[in-house]
Order: sequence, then structure tokens, then C-alpha cells
Amino acid sequence: MTLVQQSNATSSGGGSGNLYDVLELILDRGLVIDAFVRVSLVGIELLKIDVRVVVASVDTYLRFAEACNRLDLESGKQAPTQLPDLMGEMTENGAKGKSKGALSGAVEAFSESLQGKSDEKEEEPRKRPARKSTSSRRQAQRDEE
Amino acid sequence: MPTYVYAVTGADHPLPLEGLDGVGDPPSALRALRTDKLVAVAGDAPAGLRAKRRDLMAHQGVLEALMREGATLPMRFGLVGADDEEVISALEREADTYRERLKELDGHVEYNLKAVRDEADLLREIMTDSREIRELNERTRTGDGGHDERVTLGELVAREVAERHRREAEELTERLAPAATRSSSGEVGAEQFLNLSFLVPRDGTEAFVAAVQREADRCGDFYTFTLTGPLPPYSFV
Repeated sequence: MTLVQQSNATSSGGGSGNLYDVLELILDRGLVIDAFVRVSLVGIELLKIDVRVVVASVDTYLRFAEACNRLDLESGKQAPTQLPDLMGEMTENGAKGKSKGALSGAVEAFSESLQGKSDEKEEEPRKRPARKSTSSRRQAQRDEE
Repeated sequence: MPTYVYAVTGADHPLPLEGLDGVGDPPSALRALRTDKLVAVAGDAPAGLRAKRRDLMAHQGVLEALMREGATLPMRFGLVGADDEEVISALEREADTYRERLKELDGHVEYNLKAVRDEADLLREIMTDSREIRELNERTRTGDGGHDERVTLGELVAREVAERHRREAEELTERLAPAATRSSSGEVGAEQFLNLSFLVPRDGTEAFVAAVQREADRCGDFYTFTLTGPLPPYSFV
């Protein structure tokens, strides 16, 4: 039940962090006019190769096998009553960290490498997605229990 | 000088170009290239323009300002015509197509939804459902199984992960469909099972966001939804 809601990438409040989530729209969607040329996207092509997930490979299989081996089956279904709350938070952080690890991580590294020093000031407010009040929702869930 | 194009609008668009910065450093100025019925919002293409953060932001910023004031066809980032004449002749050549799309998109915005499910949660579900996977897991975990069994386990699990991701994406897409006019799916990033753009009527955005919130609540704590919008309708031009 975690919903991170972001307004558009450049308007007030949202910060520029949202740009990462719309990068593929700006670069890969949108109207194309045949006769036009495209400016160099050197680096962007590399980025796309990086994020392509190769599912059918022995490496992937071994990673899944290891993840299963490590999995603690008990922690899922039979958690004590106060645990869901804690797990909710862990999941939130974990999920954020993980989604950063692959796609947005690559995008971020890439964007930072292209950024001039002058852009650094913009960095501050960007990780400020308007969060739907998950804490109050969790509260509501507790109250129901 | 080559001409950078940001968007195509109808000739009746108010074009709030004052105070908007174009791509490049220093930011380039914007101008309207007009035909009878269409306008290309354009500017000089700076020499050596690349997809730098500042330029992507400028492109996006111009489009957001335009879409607030009327139907706008967003151009893909980085498209450059030889000169203004070439842009104008492209508008004339495609006039009917562009006008039709402007009409379709009028009063609509795009929202992009990405969804991730916690991997451990998914793996637990897969193990609970499959005895074969549980047994292979037990054998490889205790050291009885060899390399081949680990690969077999991983392959079975990978297949289940892909299948469950596909089903969940399909279900979410179906459940959210009534709240949007159209949807368009994109390539999912690592761990995501959904990357979907929705075309949403401007007066239906609150209901749409509420529908997404309901789905996020329904899916539970092991899911993270990232909803971005309103955006120019990149995915629907």
C-alpha cells in the first residue's frame, strides 16, 4: 500500500527527481518527424543496455536459487501481530533501495555524470516526492485490527 | 541555423512562451512557427546539444507550460530540423494527422505508473505454491543438490516470477482501465512488474489517482507504486 505520488517533473514542489521516472517518456516516446535528425544521445544508449534485464540466463537462475535458499519462509505468513507494521516500513525502504539499484540507479549515475557542477544546487530538493500518507494509512489498518 | 522543436499545437493555442527557457546553456529563446492551423514551438538548436539534465528539464518544462494552456503534441527530446522552413513544411505535410491527434488529446493528460513487488514476498508465494520448488530449495540449501539442481531451481523460479509479474500487470491494467481513456505499456525496469502510462481526462484526474490509491491499498505493504503526472501525453501521440 505504498503509493509514491509525484507531480510533474519541473513544476513547483515536485523537485527534479521525478525526471528520472519520466526519462524514458521524454527520450523514447513523443512525436517524431521523419525528416528531422536527433541530437546525440551518447551515453543514453549505454544506459538502456544496462537496464535491460536478462531474465533467461544461468546467472539469473543462480541468483534466484540463492535468494530462495536465503529466504526465511516463516517470516512471511506467521509473523507476530506487531510485525506487519515494522515489515511495512522495511519493505518501503527495501523497495526504494532496490528500485534504485537497477533502473533508477543507472539513470541517476548517468544523469550525474552528465551534470555540470552548476546543477548541484538543484539536487537538494529533488528527493522529495509527495508521499501519500502511508503512516496514517498504516494507523488506520492498526485500528481495524 | 538548425531548429529545435518542442511541440506542435493548434493555431489557437495561447502559447505562453514568455519567461520559458529553451534547451542549451545559456537557455535558447522560444518562437512560434505558424501555418494556417498549426504551430510548432521551436527555438535555435544550440551547437553540440546533448541529453544533459538541464536540457531534458528545459524540454519538459516547456511542454508542461504548454499543456496547461491547451492541447499539445509533445515532441520526443532532441529532434532538430534543418531550418524553420523544413519545420513548417513538415507541419503542412502532416497537418491532418496532427490536427486529428490534437483533437483526441484535447483535455487529457498522461500519468505514468510503475509498480514493484518486494522480491522476498513474491518468492515466498512461489515456494508456498510449488512443492517441486520447495523440495529443490531444500536440497540445494542443505548442500545435497549440486550446481545443476540450483540452476533448475532458479529456472523454475524465474519462470514463475515472470508469469506472476505478467498476471499482476494484466490484472492491474484491467482494474485501472475504467479510470482512464487509454493506456500504453512501456518496458519494465529491473524488479518492476508494471510500467504503464495512462491517458486521463483532465477532469477525471482526481478519480484516477484515487483508483490508483485503492489498488495500492489492495496490493498491500509489499508493493511500491510510483505514480507520476500529470504529464504531457508523450505516450499517446
